[in-house]
Amino acid sequence: MARSTAGLSVRYASLFLAGMVLVAQSVSAADLPPLPKEIKDKGVLKVGVRCDQPPYGFKDASGNYAGIETEMALQIAEWAFGSRDKAELTCVTAENRIPQLTGKKVDLLYATLGVTPERARVVAFSDPYRWDGSDVVVLKDSPIKHIAELKGKTVIALKGSNQARWFEEKMPDTESMRLNSTADALQALKQKRADGATFDIALLVGIAKNDPGLRRLNEPFLLVDASAGLRKGETQWLAYVNAAQARMKAEGLYRKWAVKWAPEGTVEHYVSGFETKRPVEK
Amino acid sequence: MDFDVHYIYAQLPALARGLLVTLEVSGISIVISILAGMAGAAIKTMRVPLLTPLLNGYVEFIRNTPLLAQMFFIYFGLPSIGLSLSLFWSGVLTLSLWASAYQIENIRGGLVTVRAGLHNAALALGMRPWQYMRLIAMPLALRVSQAAILNTSISLLKNSCFLQAVGLAEITYVAMDRIAMDFRTLEMMLVLGVTYLLLVLFMSLFSAWLEHRLHKPFRM
Repeated sequence: MARSTAGLSVRYASLFLAGMVLVAQSVSAADLPPLPKEIKDKGVLKVGVRCDQPPYGFKDASGNYAGIETEMALQIAEWAFGSRDKAELTCVTAENRIPQLTGKKVDLLYATLGVTPERARVVAFSDPYRWDGSDVVVLKDSPIKHIAELKGKTVIALKGSNQARWFEEKMPDTESMRLNSTADALQALKQKRADGATFDIALLVGIAKNDPGLRRLNEPFLLVDASAGLRKGETQWLAYVNAAQARMKAEGLYRKWAVKWAPEGTVEHYVSGFETKRPVEK
Repeated sequence: MDFDVHYIYAQLPALARGLLVTLEVSGISIVISILAGMAGAAIKTMRVPLLTPLLNGYVEFIRNTPLLAQMFFIYFGLPSIGLSLSLFWSGVLTLSLWASAYQIENIRGGLVTVRAGLHNAALALGMRPWQYMRLIAMPLALRVSQAAILNTSISLLKNSCFLQAVGLAEITYVAMDRIAMDFRTLEMMLVLGVTYLLLVLFMSLFSAWLEHRLHKPFRM
């Protein structure tokens, strides 16, 4: 009951917002370039989103897709097809997201995808919509204070993640353990199967807040932009996604979504990722 | 992106390390499962009280639950009751428990074919039931069930790839990890397919040789 009310109020809010936009910008929808025929003919928007990366992409208590990047996907479905219901969401992992895209299982990725040269070889990136860094989390009573102390120790990273590659290249003396999901990774850390685990800071902000048994090292590394992932060569579609993201920013939607999905006290952290420019790494 | 042979060359050392782990974890598990299978089959055939119903329950449980679930239970579940095994030995335990259930049934099937007359003759000669089992029935049964034992062993080898889900760096893990990093799906999958194929072919050849060897006394 509570959920349907919330859904309703979201619908009213978006209606209200759409109305405001109509008044303010008169022909906002016309600002978006035409939808490419291949996408239009499908009648649905197939998007890969994360299911284990709150607050960007996760499943809420009742198992529905939720999160800021999920909202981005739903918003594009609304602009493209007139309804959020036209988004066909697929749960992707760090490991399988790019194969899902290149294998045409989805047409767009909003999946905490960092921009890296290796990935740029196989996919096209939209304009960056936010930036993020990485950090290491250890058990609260662990003697480790700095990343450098992880030399010769075991560190967990998600398969296919930026952090896995970073540790492989920058700290080859570290024993790596690669797992599939955040849940597996945290469980393995708590069972002391490794000395630390490395994730996006965005994820750690939420985790460290909720879990007193864990401690962040607070040594951010690997600052990267996050972008939507598209297949190479689909320029019209890319232009559409870029325009849609620009419109989200102009309409202040990121803040609205951050308020909706980020845990209390962490909202500003997430908003700044979307609304400020990425600092240069030391 | 074209097929890149050099990429495969570059990954060979890592893949070789993965292959070694696959062979170790599978090899140890195969030996354990065959020994456990012999013991279990003997117990079931001799209808040892208490142990037999226990084994029946075990076999049914293992055969009716997915291997992946068993693996997560052993790796992530057991530590919460204080039994924390290393990644490698968790893998060995998972595969051994899984394969033993099948090997028990394979070997029990072999024992069923041993004629009752041999049993009577052995007892008449003053053998203890365990001596009969060890010296007469088991060698005959193993000969009969050898093909089935090998079948389960091949399945075990292939199922060792499940262990990549908990992070054991066997060959599938190495290949999947490289795919996640470099997106060379075709190259890595090809290596994986060929490697498993060769391993299984080798095991089949060994089995054929063994069968030939064991049946020497029965050939005209």
